[in-house]
Amino acid sequence: MKRPIEIAAAGTMLTALVTGLVVPPDAVQGDVQRIMYVHVPSAWLAYLAFGVTLIASLAHLRTRDLRWDRRAGASAEIGVVFTGLALATGMLWGKPVWGVWWTWDARLVLTAAMFFVYLAYLALRRTTDDPVIRGKRSAVFGIVAALQIPVVHFSVVWWRSLHQPPTILRPGEPQIDPPLLFALLMAVAAFTVLYVALLRRRVELAGAEDALLTTVRIEEPVAGSAVVGPQPRGEGA
Amino acid sequence: MTLWRQAALLLGFQLRDELRTGEVIAVVIPFGSIALLVIPMAVGIETTLLARIGPGMYWAVVLLFGVVVTQRSTASSTPSHRDALVLLGVDPAARFAATAAASALLLLLFEIGVGLVMIVLYDPVVVGWGWLALVLPLVAIGLAMLGTIAGSVTDGGGALAPLLVAPLAIPILLGAAQATEGLRLGAGILRWILVLALVDVVLALAGVLTARLLEESSR
Repeated sequence: MKRPIEIAAAGTMLTALVTGLVVPPDAVQGDVQRIMYVHVPSAWLAYLAFGVTLIASLAHLRTRDLRWDRRAGASAEIGVVFTGLALATGMLWGKPVWGVWWTWDARLVLTAAMFFVYLAYLALRRTTDDPVIRGKRSAVFGIVAALQIPVVHFSVVWWRSLHQPPTILRPGEPQIDPPLLFALLMAVAAFTVLYVALLRRRVELAGAEDALLTTVRIEEPVAGSAVVGPQPRGEGA
Repeated sequence: MTLWRQAALLLGFQLRDELRTGEVIAVVIPFGSIALLVIPMAVGIETTLLARIGPGMYWAVVLLFGVVVTQRSTASSTPSHRDALVLLGVDPAARFAATAAASALLLLLFEIGVGLVMIVLYDPVVVGWGWLALVLPLVAIGLAMLGTIAGSVTDGGGALAPLLVAPLAIPILLGAAQATEGLRLGAGILRWILVLALVDVVLALAGVLTARLLEESSR
């Protein structure tokens, strides 16, 4: 079977979609709460993706293997997309429930800052074509940038926040009804499989991009290209 | 020669360079002052409102224009200059420490200069001068190290450096603004001082530990 991860991602996403639509609505929020089946997995994926970027950056600095750098970059790209999705779905949910698209809440502001930090990380990766230089610079920034991930996650605990505290990843029982919890966990699992599939494809693509750049660089004229060896008399005259 | 001696010598060179060019005193401080001058034109010239928002606007200006201080022309070096330092056996960590220290001193100067302008224009209630004498250097050191790291990873700054620094400097801005607000309300600000100090320590470690790697990746 070709591309089993992609097929698994499509299957689990479809299952999660159906589960999210058939479970009963929230007793207080109604159907609006179903946005959480996209919002929470997106936020989880952002943490996962940036965490993988941190690990891959550390591994790259340790081994100098460019494959780790490609994994770091690919994971950051996916993380930025899903952070954007988490922010957008949060706004869509916030308008009917809180009455505003945006509020100056610690979790929201720090998540937006994290989004911009990793946008900057991706911009940094584009400043040079040399994979070796790109790898070192972005690995250093990838490690510094990751320092804010725990701050974003624990912001709802450390500051008084309008955003609700952790529902599942907390000491004690999860504060959510079992059917809703099942739908949420299904969505988290589906998004995780999707992440693995996207990461694999993006890493392959990044490898092909680097190979192409290396090929082009070899074919480009270098110092001394114009100098040719002595030609035998009579040839080409 | 020890790392500290190397750093002290390089710091002296950088400050002498800055003294000659006057980039921070003649350009960045006036630029920041203009920002403080135009903000009331945008939000309204009600004096009680301006006195209330003055300190917050001041810290926003310090964060955004402070990046310009860290990316000044005397903080960057040409490839031949860097090659000469490498051949002389200068430790990359000493170069990082010297550039960060020069930026911190110049940022402190910037903070004082723009702070005086803010007090004149906005007339806020300023209390706890002793605490402020601690907050200002802590903010300057944090921003300086962040700016120096950003300058290294972008190989001399450019348009990308502010985008790298500004979102990562949010804990510094929060610490500084909350400390100032705490002083105004008479509340304890020790935890915000600790936040600023912690950020400074983490950035110092990151800068020193990665200095050699970043030097290898510079062109």
